[in-house]
Amino acid sequence: MYRLRRLFSIGVSVVLLIVVFMVDVVRSTVEFDGGGILYFRELAVIGALLSIYAFISSAGTEKGKAATKGIGSLLVVVTGTTVLVGLIQILPGLGFTEGEAVAVPLNSLTVFFGTFVSIGVSIASIVTLMTVRDLVLHKRKKGTRRNFIIYVSILIGCSILAIPFWADELSALATTSFVAAIVMVVVISFRQSWIVFLSRREKIYSIIYSAIVFVTFIVLSLLLTNRTFLNKSVIFFSSPVERFALLNSICGAVYFGMAFVSTLFHLPTAEVYERKQSELSSLHNLSRLVTQVFDFKDLVNTVTHMTREVCGAESAWLEMIREGKVKGMREYDVVGINNISEEQIAMITANEEFNLRKLVIESKRVLLVDEVATDRRTRHMKPHGIRFGSLLSVPLVSHDQIIGILHATKEFEYGFDQDDIDVVTTFADHVTIAIENSRLIAQSLERERYKQEMMVAQEMQRRLLPQKFPTSRSYEIAAVSEPSMEVGGDYFDFVELPNDRIGVVVGDVSGKGVSAAFYMAEVKGIFQSLSKLCESPRELLIRANHTLIDNLEKKAFISLLYAILDVRKSTIELARAGHCPMIYVSDNGQDMVRPSGLGLGLTDGEIFSNATEEKTIRLRKGDLCLFYTDGITESRNEAGEEFGYERLVQLAGQIRSQSAHEIQDRILNEIRAYCGKAAFDDDLTLVVIKWLGT
Amino acid sequence: MSEFKVHHRDGDGFSVIELKGYLDAHTAPDLETTFQELLGDKKFNIVVNCKDLTYISSAGLGVFMAYIEDVRKNKGDIKLTNMSPKVYNVFDLLGFPILYEIYKDEAEAVNRFKQSRKV
Repeated sequence: MYRLRRLFSIGVSVVLLIVVFMVDVVRSTVEFDGGGILYFRELAVIGALLSIYAFISSAGTEKGKAATKGIGSLLVVVTGTTVLVGLIQILPGLGFTEGEAVAVPLNSLTVFFGTFVSIGVSIASIVTLMTVRDLVLHKRKKGTRRNFIIYVSILIGCSILAIPFWADELSALATTSFVAAIVMVVVISFRQSWIVFLSRREKIYSIIYSAIVFVTFIVLSLLLTNRTFLNKSVIFFSSPVERFALLNSICGAVYFGMAFVSTLFHLPTAEVYERKQSELSSLHNLSRLVTQVFDFKDLVNTVTHMTREVCGAESAWLEMIREGKVKGMREYDVVGINNISEEQIAMITANEEFNLRKLVIESKRVLLVDEVATDRRTRHMKPHGIRFGSLLSVPLVSHDQIIGILHATKEFEYGFDQDDIDVVTTFADHVTIAIENSRLIAQSLERERYKQEMMVAQEMQRRLLPQKFPTSRSYEIAAVSEPSMEVGGDYFDFVELPNDRIGVVVGDVSGKGVSAAFYMAEVKGIFQSLSKLCESPRELLIRANHTLIDNLEKKAFISLLYAILDVRKSTIELARAGHCPMIYVSDNGQDMVRPSGLGLGLTDGEIFSNATEEKTIRLRKGDLCLFYTDGITESRNEAGEEFGYERLVQLAGQIRSQSAHEIQDRILNEIRAYCGKAAFDDDLTLVVIKWLGT
Repeated sequence: MSEFKVHHRDGDGFSVIELKGYLDAHTAPDLETTFQELLGDKKFNIVVNCKDLTYISSAGLGVFMAYIEDVRKNKGDIKLTNMSPKVYNVFDLLGFPILYEIYKDEAEAVNRFKQSRKV
């Protein structure tokens, strides 16, 4: 379809031009006054030109064609045409009749070449118009398009007014429109914004092209206005074409003359423009990196590389500041280096009196050294063979705190101008955000991992606690362990022993998280195996301590309360390894049972066994034993006061008559009410044993 | 939650660590740092004054366990003083009075160090 249209437009124009040519051959030989045919001929010329226009515009549809390239094409077309015109002009045997208003060709050969140059000039004019259009409408402003349309309208109007049938009557209007077209040419010639966006190289090309095109258009305009072969041929061919071509030549001359001068003036700033462009694209790249580079190392390497790029520095490095081990002392980590060695950096910052880092941190401002060799802040480097001209140090400020310093050096003195400083400062702000971002991401990953670890620990803890409790007609057991947000080391367990006895253990492992869960698992293993071997609670604790002492960290220990409930004897025997005392409620009231004893893992040998007591209590129907962890007694109210032992003992006395489950629920509810919130701060564990009698 | 402060001062042949506030798993590292500093300076006669200590958790107790062995190996000791009844109860529950010398006030502990030096 597209190719067909092109073929159609070129075909139409060829056919129309052949017809025009034949009419002209006749017209040049005989006196001819066939008005109707001349009307038709004029229409055929206009039709042919429109077809040529359609053909050319469909050929050059690549949008955004570079300005310089456009001028180059125009140069080829216009110069080619002008040279051809010049060559034909000097061909022998061509000529026109003299003395008439419209010169008439002497022979058919003249008609042929006359038609040929006319078409050539028309094509050149159309190409000129299109090229100028592309340049003028580049980065258009509000009025640009309107001005251009006005110009084209006047141009076409002026050409139509030149049609011989009414040319005489409307000559005043024709002159006015011609002048108006020239005015519009000047107006649109001020639209040269495309120049700004050229690179230096392109600008040089466009200067050369503009100059040649300018000269060519002057020549073409002169050829069209003086009574040359071209002038005579085109007027014989078509007066409107003559107007059209002349106006376009003038337009070309003015526009490209203007372009030549503008480009020439823009040339010195070309480098600045190019640098700004690269700065902008670097900043843009960095902003993009902020969202892409999470890895700190990659990020800092990119930063130093880009710092060099944005200001044309010779070397760059980035150091991060952190709080040192001693409070108030800062430590510096050089995290990114580009084109400089660590030894050199160490040397640069070695000045005690005028320390660059200190100066930047204290002033919180950019530090610029124009002459490194003589400046008192940097001249200490000279003897060490460090040779660069100027140095720029920019602080990275986040939330009013300096988190790092970005340094750049240049080979020459006074290498950093205000522009460089501005751009590196802006760049440093982006870098700060990028670094903060990467830190935040690292932190959230860390948190996520911690959360995962916590979940594993919680799951482990849950599985280590007994799922089924022993049941009997002689006693009731209720037990609960409420984990808190942080996994603590609360533990309770039961074991059924021979001769109608059960072992009950409640303990607290120091530490949190996975390590606490791990110790819990160890304690469970020890308890489950030793309880079958040891006849008394005291013996179990001594042996458990002996096993654990070498397996625990120095600062870790375990508190345990172990009791054996003997159903046949109606007794409870207990020993305590540093754990909260048992609360015992009977007809005689309520009290704490606290045999002396040391926490497991604190010390071994005789000290431990001598310290560990055992107590035996004879149970009566309705007696109540409570085992618990310090999560219960250390529950705090809003004023920060602990629930305490006393409150727990009194409460146990009041609710003694209730069932084991009721007692458990009542105690937990009381503690919740005391704390004033639903969740507990610490883990808490409660085991209730109610003796029902045999 | 009230904050925790640890402060230490040197006497003639002994050092005193003063604890203030809430010693738990979160604040225990501060106390560890202080012990590390003292041990690093070869100061093994240490009195820990618990006058303003309002709470101690098992992680807090663990700190003393972590250093007592090293201190005693170097013929020094950690002596605890000026505990409030509540704090004493936590130490007592775990059996610490069997392992550590605990005194009513600092002067007593200091005297002990002075006497052992004479002997």
